[in-house]
Amino acid sequence: MHNQWVINQPTADHLSAIFGALADPTRRAILERLALGEATVGDLGAPFSMSQPAISKHLKVLERAGLVSRRRRGTANISRLEPAALHGANDWLERYRAAWEERFERLDEVLDELQRQP
Amino acid sequence: MATTRVTAPPGMPFAEVEREFDAPRDLVYRAWTDPGLIVRWLGPRRLQMRIDYWNLDARGGSYRYIHSGEDGVEHAFHGSFHRTTADPYTLLQTFEYEGAPGFVSLDEVRLVEAGGKTIAKLRTVHQTVEARDAMIEAGMSEGMDDGFDKLDELLASELAAAR
Repeated sequence: MHNQWVINQPTADHLSAIFGALADPTRRAILERLALGEATVGDLGAPFSMSQPAISKHLKVLERAGLVSRRRRGTANISRLEPAALHGANDWLERYRAAWEERFERLDEVLDELQRQP
Repeated sequence: MATTRVTAPPGMPFAEVEREFDAPRDLVYRAWTDPGLIVRWLGPRRLQMRIDYWNLDARGGSYRYIHSGEDGVEHAFHGSFHRTTADPYTLLQTFEYEGAPGFVSLDEVRLVEAGGKTIAKLRTVHQTVEARDAMIEAGMSEGMDDGFDKLDELLASELAAAR
């Protein structure tokens, strides 16, 4: 409720799309490459002896699962990893939120003490 | 009980954090800018924080601080303070973890008065969406150096589970 992440928790259907997408070794290699940073279809195809349409087909499966997003830069399509989809957006943000919350609780203590001082 | 709210829109290179404090704005501002007070809260409890330098005046300044654990491992951070003329209760600074040099974020803290309480609104803008995702992935608690390692580990475990 306090988490404003705009992607919803994965549904069962969405999870099966994710696992379906992960079931293929080429798609896993594409994800591993994207974990290093954004890439074009050409970049992604380079390590495989595969045509660009074949790579694009794999990318579409990954996109449907929410694991990868695509945007245009000039004439090129740039793909990027969406790590949140891998384990649910709430979990993804929770540790970050908890780290801030721990600091803020310490700050509460400092502020309490300052206010008690004459 | 005040809650910490976090916003991190997909595909955008920033993250926002919001939290209310039961104290007047001047006091929160002091706790946020006085190095003697900062060391008491800006970090996980299990780490000691010490200030290397902290120079902040009306024109801006610079800072460097170090978190160290019982294991002796140290994490150092540094950056520049900038002043905004629009609002004296807005802090603007760059932030760089020395374990990941070159990954610099721009951090803004706005302190908003709310009926004797203060709402702190933080916004961290990273150079890339990947840098933001890696920082969130690391959860800040272990430093940012292993952000990409954690992403790799996560991918590896998800991939192993799918096999």
